[in-house]
Amino acid sequence: MAADRDSAILTADDVTVRFATPEGVITAVEDVSFAVEPGEFLSIIGPSGCGKSTLFNVIGGLLTSHQGTVRVAGEIISGPHPSIGMVFQEESTFPWRTVSDNVAFPLELVGMPKRKRIERARRFIAMVGLAGFENRYPGELSGGMRQRVALARTLASEPKILLMDEPFAALDEQTRLLLGDKVLQIQQQLRQTTLLITHNITEAVQMSDRILVMTYRPGRVKRIVDINLPRPRDSEIVGSEAFGRYVAQIWNDLREEASRGMRDAETHALDHEAPP
Amino acid sequence: MSDRLSRSRLAPAAAGLAAVGLGLAAAEIMIRADWINRFIVPPPSEVARGISRIVLEEHIGHRFLLTAGECLAAGLMITVLGVAAGVLIHRFRLLRQATETWIAAWAAAPVVLAYPLFMVIFGRNAWTIIMIGFVAALPPVILKTIEGLSTTRKVLVDVGRSFNLTGTQQFWKILFPAALPTIFVGVRLGLIFALINIVGVEFLINSGGLGQLINDLAERYDLAGTYAAIFFVVLVSVAFFMTLERIERWLRPID
Amino acid sequence: MAATDRLTANARHEPHAASVTLLRAAMILALLALWEFLSHTGWFYRDVVPSLLAIGRAVLALLSRENYYYNLGVTAGEVAAALAIGGGTGLVVGLVLGSNRFLARAFEPYLYYLGPTPKIIFFPVMIMWFGVDSPSKVALGSLSCFFPVALSVAAGMRQIDTVLIRVGRSFRASALQMVTKIYLPAMRHPIMNGVRLGLGVALIGTLLAETKLSNKGIGFLIINAYSTFDMPRMYANLIVLFVLAIGANSLIGRLGGAATAARR
Repeated sequence: MAADRDSAILTADDVTVRFATPEGVITAVEDVSFAVEPGEFLSIIGPSGCGKSTLFNVIGGLLTSHQGTVRVAGEIISGPHPSIGMVFQEESTFPWRTVSDNVAFPLELVGMPKRKRIERARRFIAMVGLAGFENRYPGELSGGMRQRVALARTLASEPKILLMDEPFAALDEQTRLLLGDKVLQIQQQLRQTTLLITHNITEAVQMSDRILVMTYRPGRVKRIVDINLPRPRDSEIVGSEAFGRYVAQIWNDLREEASRGMRDAETHALDHEAPP
Repeated sequence: MSDRLSRSRLAPAAAGLAAVGLGLAAAEIMIRADWINRFIVPPPSEVARGISRIVLEEHIGHRFLLTAGECLAAGLMITVLGVAAGVLIHRFRLLRQATETWIAAWAAAPVVLAYPLFMVIFGRNAWTIIMIGFVAALPPVILKTIEGLSTTRKVLVDVGRSFNLTGTQQFWKILFPAALPTIFVGVRLGLIFALINIVGVEFLINSGGLGQLINDLAERYDLAGTYAAIFFVVLVSVAFFMTLERIERWLRPID
Repeated sequence: MAATDRLTANARHEPHAASVTLLRAAMILALLALWEFLSHTGWFYRDVVPSLLAIGRAVLALLSRENYYYNLGVTAGEVAAALAIGGGTGLVVGLVLGSNRFLARAFEPYLYYLGPTPKIIFFPVMIMWFGVDSPSKVALGSLSCFFPVALSVAAGMRQIDTVLIRVGRSFRASALQMVTKIYLPAMRHPIMNGVRLGLGVALIGTLLAETKLSNKGIGFLIINAYSTFDMPRMYANLIVLFVLAIGANSLIGRLGGAATAARR
């Protein structure tokens, strides 16, 4: 079931991004178009080099030199939009602030009074499962806990759209699974529109309503897959045949693109006798 | 376009130079127009003339050699004694634990403020100057020597042990060569400390080479000459610093 | 010399805190004993090496006279002003240079190469511009501490983890909010270091200027003791000064370190 443009909360139309490099112009993404429904969980998946992070920066408004438009609730964005909350891949908590102060950061920026901020922050800290850690510093927490703080911080700004760039990439498998469950739980609870950029197929199939598969550079939309699996996606569903078929289908698409990427890297290395 | 500007090496350097040039030109104009009192700030053109005057009339060569000699003396002392002390302290763990923080405090202490004391002990002459340079510049050499010796990568030490090197061989063939780059950094820091203190004290006690030049001209109320002398000494100090950097960079590949 | 055997052996027995203290005490005692010995041999002219007792009495005399605290106040005020002016300007310039690559390449080399030069030689100019009283000392102190602060801040800005800047931008923080809530806190180490260095050189600059030409302040007291050949008083002044200077230095270092310890 494709998204209906009129009801879509986020639309991308023919987004194209080109970069000038010492080796010429590179097209990172080309003619990417899609629409996201309110409350939907959409994953964008692709091999390395498909421009996923570029797309993340475009949608988040941190990259404005592109062709095509991105609209949030009909409005064309020209910078970071208040309705979009970003969660970055790297460590992004402020090491000099406590967990509570980190989460309250967006509230501080808009001038919310202190008592209200702390109370609001507490809610989101509990939502990510870190109740009790309000007065600790990120340095005292594990990597997974720090990512949860970053997530809580973005959620505290109550964005209409949550935009995440491989937030679990730096974590070990178990933590990743637990956090994935947590994010799903929150998304269902808040009916949060979520865009997840990832390279992990299982994660994408488990969490998403739809998956956008991208080609290798220049990144185009190869296929949009509707995931018609019931929620909650518990271990029974994950182990089911239908699940496996989705994963296999997407893996087929990705394998083709990933091997193109590898061949590209190999020829590049041979040309330059050095890794690109 | 601004991206390309910031990437070129020439454009920023030219901009910086242009800014300095403009500043001097503006100063020249404002002083000649009497917006700035020319008896407090002489016009840059006069200062420039003052420079050539200094070079020709003020025995600049002699002064330069004097200051250089003082620096050389202090430099030799800090290198020999500093490295030796560093090696010794590194060798004995207990000694290192006891003294390293003291030496760090010494490095941060305003040693030069005790120059009147040195004057009492050594007199108002070059020895005071050399000794102050020595005492102020010794700690960084010691600290960097210790640092260099203690941060040798373990794998290199293991290589030595795998060849059954004796203690002495281990020190001379592995530890010391591995520590040399850091030791050079220490010597460079020490030399800079030494120069700054030496020229400063020459000025303060009015004895010696380049530092005294400024004092002489200031006491003669030779305005342009004083500015010129200061400019000249700053130039020498900058040149010294740059030379040290070049030398260190040239020596680097050896490690 | 069984250096490496010792190395591995020592790795196994770390020297006791007690033996370190013992060694330190022994070293201090030996130094003091040597001093006292030298002061009584008469090898040095008159009071060049006064007895420890004389020095001790001079320190007490110094600290018990109101006049000392007046002079201390004068110097402290000058140093504080120098740090505020020179450090403040340095902070602003550092922020500008750290954030703009072009300006940094154009102007930072000047700061970098002019930094390690003796600033006291500028004193005659300061006197011409600001007179013979405190302002000229403050001016020299400011000139001294401008450079290390500006360079530390500029370097600190370039070391900020870029993801933190992106977080700020993703929340659409205003420029002022970016500076106060992200740039400055992220740079607290380089800033603390710069302030520590700045304080050190401001102190030196101000005090040296006082020794050259002044009628108040700690520098004046020192040079005054020299000209009257009151050696115990000179030692007393120097000892108190160095204790204060080293104390201030480690205090700032501790403040910066405590801030980080909490966050580790």
